[in-house]
Amino acid sequence: MKVANEFFDRFSVSLPQLENLVAEGLKGGGDWCDLFFEDTFYSELVLRDAEVNSGGSHIDFGCGVRVLKGEKTGYAYAESTEPSALLAAARAASAIGSAPAARLAASSSKPVSGTATRPVPGSYYPAKEDWRTAESSRFIPALRKLDALIRGRDGSVHKVIAMLSYSVTDVLMYNSLGELSADTRPLGSISVTTIFIRNGSTEMSTASRSFRCGPEMISDALLEEIADSAVKGMDERFDARRPKGGKMNVVMAAGASGILLHEAMGHAFEADFIRKGQSIFTGKLGERVARKGINIVDDATIPGNRGSLNVDDEGVPGQKTCMVRDGILESYLHDRISAGCFGLPSTGNGRRESFRYNPIPRMRCTYMENGTDGTVQDIIADVRKGIFVEEFSNGEVKIGEGDFTFYVKSGRLIENGRLTMPVKDINIVGNGPRALSDIVAVASDLKIDNGTWTCGKEQSAPVGCGIPSVLVKGLTVGGE
Amino acid sequence: MLSKDEKNIARECIAMALEAGAGKARVSMSRNEMSIVATLDGEVDKVTSCLDRSISLNIFADGRYGSFSTNKLDRASLQSFISGAVETTRMLAADEFRDLPDPARYAKDALTGDELGIADPSYSGVTPGFRSRMAVENALHTDRGEGWKLVSQEGEYSDSDYSNFVLDSQGLEALHHETSFEFFTELTIEDSSGHKFSGGWWEASPLLKDFHPEKVAEAALREAVMQIGPGACRSGKYKLVIDSEVSSKVVSPILNALNAFSIQQGNSFLVDSAGKRIFPSGLTILDIPRTPGEACGKLFDSEGVATSNHAIIENGVVKEYFVNTYMANKLGTAPTAEDAVRPSVLPYLPSGTAPEGPFGREEIMKLCGDGILVTDFCGGNCNQATGAFSYAIQGYRFKDGRICRPVREMLITGDIVSLWSGLIAAGNDARRCRAKLTPTLAFDNVDFSG
Repeated sequence: MKVANEFFDRFSVSLPQLENLVAEGLKGGGDWCDLFFEDTFYSELVLRDAEVNSGGSHIDFGCGVRVLKGEKTGYAYAESTEPSALLAAARAASAIGSAPAARLAASSSKPVSGTATRPVPGSYYPAKEDWRTAESSRFIPALRKLDALIRGRDGSVHKVIAMLSYSVTDVLMYNSLGELSADTRPLGSISVTTIFIRNGSTEMSTASRSFRCGPEMISDALLEEIADSAVKGMDERFDARRPKGGKMNVVMAAGASGILLHEAMGHAFEADFIRKGQSIFTGKLGERVARKGINIVDDATIPGNRGSLNVDDEGVPGQKTCMVRDGILESYLHDRISAGCFGLPSTGNGRRESFRYNPIPRMRCTYMENGTDGTVQDIIADVRKGIFVEEFSNGEVKIGEGDFTFYVKSGRLIENGRLTMPVKDINIVGNGPRALSDIVAVASDLKIDNGTWTCGKEQSAPVGCGIPSVLVKGLTVGGE
Repeated sequence: MLSKDEKNIARECIAMALEAGAGKARVSMSRNEMSIVATLDGEVDKVTSCLDRSISLNIFADGRYGSFSTNKLDRASLQSFISGAVETTRMLAADEFRDLPDPARYAKDALTGDELGIADPSYSGVTPGFRSRMAVENALHTDRGEGWKLVSQEGEYSDSDYSNFVLDSQGLEALHHETSFEFFTELTIEDSSGHKFSGGWWEASPLLKDFHPEKVAEAALREAVMQIGPGACRSGKYKLVIDSEVSSKVVSPILNALNAFSIQQGNSFLVDSAGKRIFPSGLTILDIPRTPGEACGKLFDSEGVATSNHAIIENGVVKEYFVNTYMANKLGTAPTAEDAVRPSVLPYLPSGTAPEGPFGREEIMKLCGDGILVTDFCGGNCNQATGAFSYAIQGYRFKDGRICRPVREMLITGDIVSLWSGLIAAGNDARRCRAKLTPTLAFDNVDFSG
């Protein structure tokens, strides 16, 4: 990959200096060293009480040095790129080289570069303009307009809190194979919390959209879409009740329900959990985990998606990884360490929150591909008693056991094939592998949700998710 | 600990902000030195060494307000960053309620940072060898037992030295310094049928002499082994006992709902509750940030205002909202505490007397007789506007005060005020290493689904 000089200038470093740092990192006996330089500019504007009266900007700058000996990691970072600070970080990370022998033989534990077959880095961020050079005052009218659009749609709106946040991250990476890569990652998000009061009752909604692109993402169409989403279903929500709890069939609506795949299945496919034997999917490669026809992918290549990456944080090009193909578990999600452990090329899932963290296998945009079971109406028509879930939030999973939980933001009861009473304030619990094998119908209406999804596995990372409408048998629904 | 030069940089930032046109400014400079040794299956797996320094700025310019931060601390970068910060602030809408606090409210006793005695003077003598020994020696040294085998074990020893210097253009200077020593273990076991179960435990202390990680791995293993053979109970109403390790889950929604910002936005189930008896008389929550030697104590908040030991809820009566300077000006009320720093739920027995001796989960299960003990929450949500909650739980069915079997894939639902109205007891077993001092709690008549 050709790296422009502007990256060297931004970090005030040169290629010979990077080579020397890597050599220093390996002096302790490590067999791999990589450098991760980062310069992040983050800014936000907040509208409260109909005025954009708070905002700010933030800079995070530094370099992480990682040294591996087999699967063991030495990690240190510097918040400046002064030669002395970088050298100190390299020396601190090199200490892992003196750790007792690695569990794997050096040959098999050596990270796999995949240089010969690796895909070419993509260009998945359609940014026409750089957030850093845009005058932030020009975004203020957009937030005011969003406030007005939401209030204009529903007379019971009490408060609107709207936030525009945007960041641009420059990264420069170099490793002991001599691979040099760089990336400039934009991320823009608009999120809104709306409080509604009707007849003394209060309800709240949240809506958001987030993209890896430049300021041109802010359009009238986007603001209208967010405003629609903010007030959507509010009449039903005021009427909603908690249903009687118990085991039920659950129809998940296309789009945001895809977070189920992320939490309940995707994490258990991350190969660090597999390498350590912790995941419930350990040793199940090649086995059937879902019914025929089901495909689940993790994709870094969707233009503008929040989870997309031209290259991951180990310099591996972004790619699309099919985890489940036709119901068979085909691939785990690898960073370089787990890939080395399994003797495979990395799948480009090595991600980190910032230079302060070492990379670990993380999802990007995880979704299920379209099925052949018709429309969501067809699926609902086949359910005698169950719940239709439009939106989930607050998902959590226990990796070893595979147990997951989701909070249902909005949904309805299904009775005799028809949607009836709106429901709220309930959770759904289940077991990942069991739920995956209990998906008995998949519609052909795949929708990628563009909300501000953020994964919190040890470190935070922006991700995407999506799903067509699906029917899952027998999940536990919490109620009265 | 922050050096003299670092403190001077913070002071210069105030000067730079005023010079750039700010009317007032506040700066918070933080320094955190941390070392981590992680183990996998008893062997050193990862060694991390880091030093973080950052400056946060609050700019008040022309009746406008902005907040900024950077970790580029060379003077040239700061000068340019602060000039830009003032310019950015000026383009925002005016907000007449933004201001620095009344200087009379400032902490005047946070001069050295060491007044609370939570910074260990021996920290600088901690060696890499010591860290590795702590990580390795406190790992579990057995890999199987009756009906289970160990799948993996992750441990992590860490220590840190954190200091924070808050100053403003009205003359505030307040310094906080604390150290921390922590160890946690998370492990996964497999039963004879191949089912996996995980368990975790941790210990922490600000002072090395009070740090006792020796039993952490055993506690994590005990938690995992006890979960073998789980099932769901029949849905219905049960007495709920929540272990002290996780009982903050039903206390935090109360504290969040008392924040004046939530109240002002109408996004709180405790609107119009100040001074009223909302909770049962058995509930008293104090804030005790000024107890010397205790983790998470603080003499001042993020505005530099002095903290105090005081009641948040007393015998069920809401004593205060958390009102910072901004919200006080906006609501036209007096400011109070910005937030609960170290909230503590006091013990409670149905008799109204204070328990004599240990009163933890064993004693409370005996008091309750039959019910479900919750030892972990796995996701869920509390609607801050209404107080309605739904949480997935993991724990144990107990009868006659004794644990019978593990339960999982169950949910509890209700609303926070109704839940607390069924308070049976509060223990005296809150863990001192936690920021929220919440003991084992018991409630009557709670909805479980499974």
